[in-house]
Amino acid sequence: MKILLLALRSLRREWHLPELRTLAASLVLAVVALGVVATLTARMEHGILASAAELIGGDLGVSAPQDLPEKFADAARERGLAMTHTAGFPSVAFAQQQSQLLEVLATDTAYPLRGTLLIGDAQGRQRVGHGPAGGTVLLDHRALVALHRQVGDSVQLGGRDLRIAGELVQQPDGGELVAMAPRALMNLDDAQQAGLLGVGSRARHSVLLAGNPSAVQSWRQWAQSTPLPPGGELITPEQTQERMRNAFDRAGAFLRLTALLSALLSGVAIALAAQRYARRKTSEVSLLRALGTSRARVLGLLLGTLGGLALPAAAIGVLLSLALAEAAWMFASQLFAGVPTELPTLPSLAAAGMGVAVLAGFALPPLVRLADVSPVAVFRASLARQIRRFDALYLIPAAVALALIWSLSDSVRLAGILAVSLSGVAVVAAGLAALLLWIARRITPGGHPALRLGMAALARRRGLSIVQATALSLGLTALLLLAIVAPALLDGWRQELPADTPNWFVLNLQDDQRADFSKSLAQIGADQLNMMPLAVGKFTAINGRPIDQIAFKDPRTKDWNDRQLRLSWSDSLPPSNTIIAGHWFAPHPAEAEVSVDTMWRDMYALKLGDTMRFDVGEGQLDAKVTSFRHVDWTSFRVNFFLLMDPLHANALPHTWIASFYLPRGHTEALAGLSRTYPNLSLVDVDALLDRVREIVQRVTGAVRWVLGFSLLAGALVLAAALATSGQERRHEAALLRTLGARRGLLRIAAACEFALLGLIAGITAALGAMIGGWWLGRSVFHIKDFMPHPWPLALAALLAAVVVMLLGLAGTRKVTHTPPMRLLRAE
Amino acid sequence: MQVNTGESFAIVGASGSGKTTLLGLLAGLDTPTRGSIRLDGHSLEQLDEEARADLRRRLVGFVFQSFHLLPALTAEQNVMLPLELEGNPAARERAREALAAVELSGRRKHYPAQLSGGEQQRVAIARAFVHRPRILFADEPTGNLDRRTGRHVCDLLFALNRDHGTTLVLVTHDLQLAERCVRRVELQEGKLEPLA
Repeated sequence: MKILLLALRSLRREWHLPELRTLAASLVLAVVALGVVATLTARMEHGILASAAELIGGDLGVSAPQDLPEKFADAARERGLAMTHTAGFPSVAFAQQQSQLLEVLATDTAYPLRGTLLIGDAQGRQRVGHGPAGGTVLLDHRALVALHRQVGDSVQLGGRDLRIAGELVQQPDGGELVAMAPRALMNLDDAQQAGLLGVGSRARHSVLLAGNPSAVQSWRQWAQSTPLPPGGELITPEQTQERMRNAFDRAGAFLRLTALLSALLSGVAIALAAQRYARRKTSEVSLLRALGTSRARVLGLLLGTLGGLALPAAAIGVLLSLALAEAAWMFASQLFAGVPTELPTLPSLAAAGMGVAVLAGFALPPLVRLADVSPVAVFRASLARQIRRFDALYLIPAAVALALIWSLSDSVRLAGILAVSLSGVAVVAAGLAALLLWIARRITPGGHPALRLGMAALARRRGLSIVQATALSLGLTALLLLAIVAPALLDGWRQELPADTPNWFVLNLQDDQRADFSKSLAQIGADQLNMMPLAVGKFTAINGRPIDQIAFKDPRTKDWNDRQLRLSWSDSLPPSNTIIAGHWFAPHPAEAEVSVDTMWRDMYALKLGDTMRFDVGEGQLDAKVTSFRHVDWTSFRVNFFLLMDPLHANALPHTWIASFYLPRGHTEALAGLSRTYPNLSLVDVDALLDRVREIVQRVTGAVRWVLGFSLLAGALVLAAALATSGQERRHEAALLRTLGARRGLLRIAAACEFALLGLIAGITAALGAMIGGWWLGRSVFHIKDFMPHPWPLALAALLAAVVVMLLGLAGTRKVTHTPPMRLLRAE
Repeated sequence: MQVNTGESFAIVGASGSGKTTLLGLLAGLDTPTRGSIRLDGHSLEQLDEEARADLRRRLVGFVFQSFHLLPALTAEQNVMLPLELEGNPAARERAREALAAVELSGRRKHYPAQLSGGEQQRVAIARAFVHRPRILFADEPTGNLDRRTGRHVCDLLFALNRDHGTTLVLVTHDLQLAERCVRRVELQEGKLEPLA
């Protein structure tokens, strides 16, 4: 207790020391950077998840191929969550002479809990509604056309007559691109009474929940620790379509990377300030030791001072980060209109914990070594300056950095790449700095006095210069990494959904309609027309053995065996498909060939050379597997698991599926087209595209905000790191002024010194960021063909030199403007 | 008060009497609020800080009580400083000569922390005369040294004064040291009184 009081008193007396202030400021900055980023990230992730929840109709859910045990609903009720039950299944609807297979979703009237169910009436007006009441059904446009029905008519579903209460315009559909079968929404009780959900039905039952985020999280934790029924799975916003998930994953990784690099930057600044503080305290510690203070007591005193500094600084950091996060949210929240998000305090508190860990990790080694100062040093200062070549204590900051990378990156690959890149940069920067300093010392004697003075100053403070160059290189690498990856990431997202992405799909196009339909489309201004043949059949055998007699490990096969299979064919490999094994079809293959997507290959354990049998219409077709394809399902194109060779597949009974882009506002013309070709089903995916674009826009906005804050934090920490050597120069500049050096000379000398320092840092950082950025971009953010351009990086290296020079000059300005007399007296 | 070329001049006085302030004014480190100071014909109060710095570089050498050697530089590098400021290409050779003159050739690669107090002050003297200043200001040059070392340092200062005709202005409270100067004044309550 006594020692703590002593430490606090010492802290109060030493508070004027710039190193202590830098230490405190670095900690505040670290906590603010981590806290703001973490708070904003938490809020934006919440916002992003909330918009994903709109796609699944609830915050969270659980589904299974049979009725769900009541405990799932009970657990939700206990937590005060709103609930809706649904069941999805295929069923045939009848209307007079017509019949049509529909994809039916039976729901209670609470559906959907999140997102919008858009219903059209007989007059074409649209309203937002809920699941249909008993005795009614909602049919989508295709179902209405196929069954020749209109709103207000009735259809028979599961043996019951149901009145069509409206047209199903839009429903929370998990972000599915285009449902192949027409859709219907009916009442859950009706489905039950009609026996559609009984034993042997292929219905998938779900419970969806929504409510207070903490209650939802609590239910999620409970459900994750509860055994699910056979075939059951949790429905989470993260599981919405692949293309959304990609954006979330990459955005999350990027936000974490940004926070992590900010924390490491602060660590670098803290390490520099602590080193300086330890040097300043050396004579005091040797005096204390000489006066009989034990090493343990000295250490306690130093740690007490550090603790006394850390706690209020961390508290200020937390308050500032909360205030800044709230202010930033006021600007950013428009991106998440309608998403309620309370200010989370946990990320800021966690940031304070991390900040204190960074402070301890980076500041401890010099302070612990300080306690080792010999009492004899009181007589001979040189004894206090003995530096160990290798000090195991300096593994602590490395370990803290690794722990931070590990805890924040959430990905072994990201952590590995960062650790390797940053260590590489540190080693190269230190080596390059040592080499350039060695060269500078030898080539400068003939140069301008200012240049010689600057170089000499750097070379004489060799150790500090190398530490500074390394620290600056690491800081710049962090900033450049973000600067390289962010635009490529944002561009990548934008490129995934260019403005002319096909926004309409046409199903059921017949062979003889193709030419005329294409012409008509061109006349109304449609573009990007792409047609693919479509045959519907069943997959029945592998190498002559019926698939229902083969035991597959993958449980999904059971589901797929029952489904209708869609086959297509093409002369050339479609875009967004890549052959990963085997070869694409030769022009005239002797026997039928099939190219298989990797998911099907894995599901059915297929090998090249296997023969797959398909029943299509009345006939049967055996096709040899000649290639496996990787399909990019995130592209907005029509893709198929199975592609046949055209020579053999052309004879199969088929229709055509087409996609095209039609600028908005042409729907009238399209309606005319629809009347000319009444058999066609036209599907508008603009709404879905809009939702995906909106989410991408939200994610992009989130990244920009967080990036802006991190860059600012990075720049501030960088400036703090530079300032730590300011004191070192003060005495030197004062003496040089006394000896008659002009201000201009000192300024140019400082400019040369800082420019060289900046150049070393810039070159190393540019190289490090180029290699690290390339690596991160390719293997963590999956940016296609990513290659950072060297010229902007070279420019950035030069710019870094200029910025470091200017910051350095700004730091020495005060020194060169103070009368030398006052400086000497202040020493 | 006037100090003539080649003269040795001592300013004595009690602690806090303003000796160092006066020295700073004489050397052009600061400017007087009232009155006038002329150094080699230049009115210091009419020159700006830059011009005074030029004048110091050309004419003035300094020796301080606490040596003011730069800790990161070796003895030789410390001595080279004034010549580097002039852009003198022979700085290293001249610095070595100066160190030899104060009998520290063997310590030129040592850092200040590795030198004794007397050695540090001799390095400071070498730095003070390496660029052949016309006037040398010394602020309590023996204040941090033992009597014998102090005497040795003073011998060096007076040898410079004698051999090179360098004007020596020193501030001290050591009357024995002051007595070695040709002229002596005492600063008392802001007034200079000649000492017998």
